[in-house]
Amino acid sequence: MNELAELQGAFQDYLISGGGAIHRRVLGTAQVPAEIRLGIYAGAYASRLAEALGANFPAMLRLMGEEDFNALARAYVAAHASTFFSIRHYGDRLAAFLASDPAYGEAPVLAELARWEWCVGLTFDAADATPLTHEVLAQVHPQQWAQLRLRWHPSVQRLDLHWNAPQIWQAVTEESEVPPVAFSQQAQPWLLWRQGLTTYFRSLPGTEAAVLDAGRQGGSFGELCTLLCAEVGDAAAPLQAATLLRSWVAAGLITDAD
Amino acid sequence: MLTRPSLGFGLGLRVDHYEAILAERPRVDWFEVLTENYLVPGGKPLNYLTRFRERYPLVMHGVSMSIGSTAPLDLEYLRQVKSLAARIEPAWISDHLCWTGVAGRNLHDLLPLPYTEEALAHVVARVGQVQELLGRRILLENVSSYVAYSASQLTEWEFLREVVVRADCLLLLDVNNIYVSSVNHGFDARTYLQHLPAERVQQIHLAGHEDHGSYLIDTHDHPVPDPVWQLYEAALRHCGPVATMIERDDNIPPLEELVGELDQARQLSARVLNAPPATMPLAAQRAGMPAGAAAP
Repeated sequence: MNELAELQGAFQDYLISGGGAIHRRVLGTAQVPAEIRLGIYAGAYASRLAEALGANFPAMLRLMGEEDFNALARAYVAAHASTFFSIRHYGDRLAAFLASDPAYGEAPVLAELARWEWCVGLTFDAADATPLTHEVLAQVHPQQWAQLRLRWHPSVQRLDLHWNAPQIWQAVTEESEVPPVAFSQQAQPWLLWRQGLTTYFRSLPGTEAAVLDAGRQGGSFGELCTLLCAEVGDAAAPLQAATLLRSWVAAGLITDAD
Repeated sequence: MLTRPSLGFGLGLRVDHYEAILAERPRVDWFEVLTENYLVPGGKPLNYLTRFRERYPLVMHGVSMSIGSTAPLDLEYLRQVKSLAARIEPAWISDHLCWTGVAGRNLHDLLPLPYTEEALAHVVARVGQVQELLGRRILLENVSSYVAYSASQLTEWEFLREVVVRADCLLLLDVNNIYVSSVNHGFDARTYLQHLPAERVQQIHLAGHEDHGSYLIDTHDHPVPDPVWQLYEAALRHCGPVATMIERDDNIPPLEELVGELDQARQLSARVLNAPPATMPLAAQRAGMPAGAAAP
């Protein structure tokens, strides 16, 4: 298998890094030299991956325009080969690439926008799960409440963003007027999830974000209540805990409690 | 019989047509779905797929099996393919006779193999493994190509024929790909066709390409051109009735346009297969059958 392995290694090296070892293994004709023949594959490789990035980040593409997005895509393709069997997952490191590439240092909102749009995609085709109903929750015995642990819908995503990336993304997606870029020193917590086939998102008050994060990390309802007491005081905590839980269940964020 | 009876005339399922298909129930006998698009945990893609499956027979067509790669088979990929197949019960599963990457990389292109004994033995062994894992025969499609390797010892059609016969798998014949490669490499497309084992051809793809003067690029983004229709006619004479579909991957037109193109394939097939005995399948002619025996 040495010959075949060597040929494939050389061809791949040519496509990813421009290596020349493949040339001596390829035959050209007078009409179409080997260089042109190989060039068809090289051109297709870069443009196919760039096109996939555009499909995976449609709002980024629309916001930046074809030329600028294409420059970004080509740079990303040069830096990252695909390791995925589905091209749908190509671009998982675009946000990190934007954050680390000095060429994009003057537009830090782009890295957050890429992070946001990637999460929208993950929410879109995350696993299905049946949400828990209020009726089922009502059957929980009062003595069990403190030990109760919530199970979250697989589509739930949490992000903390300094820029108004979600608002920009929404405006671009809905083709409405894009708001000016805005930065806030304190990161704004955001929540994304899917109810049925529809993707939803909303910003979260800091307290809700802290409690929700603790719940997603496996904290019991009792522990969430203790956290709430520290945040809002002993008097307000019980009512607020009940309100939060009711709203999470209504939104389809919870699939089980055990 | 190695193959299942023809499913008739189908289309590649494309997102652009989802709603039109559900609303209009077009004259399409079956749909081919791109396997990788549905290897996702849940949400809309799988929900739509379930709805299409309730209405139409489906077949699965993948691009990432990389059957000719020297990298190990991606068992996780195959597990997911099998699980999707259990969910939608496709009439069959196909992929391409090519390689798509080595060393953990996916180049997302259908790269040609050298036509050597070494590559042949390698592919035959891997098809065996895949068929064992999936518990069924798979179809392999001929890809279009732009390069020929100095190492090749066989013609493309000899290689293709040997792979499917030795591995005991089936063939998805892309007529446009044969035509594109015949122009790019200067071989006779009809010679290619006539050497293929007709009894293993389960499905045919029809598509268009881009003409660059001295070579063609397989873009699958144009209507089926005349030379491809003519080659399809020759394929029907060679193979008899075979499930046929229009495969449009880019520049996707409205659904009715593709349904119209598919009607052309229906009519051509009816004309060829119901024609007088002189046009009976070549395979039958070669087998020395009397002229009337192949007439329906």
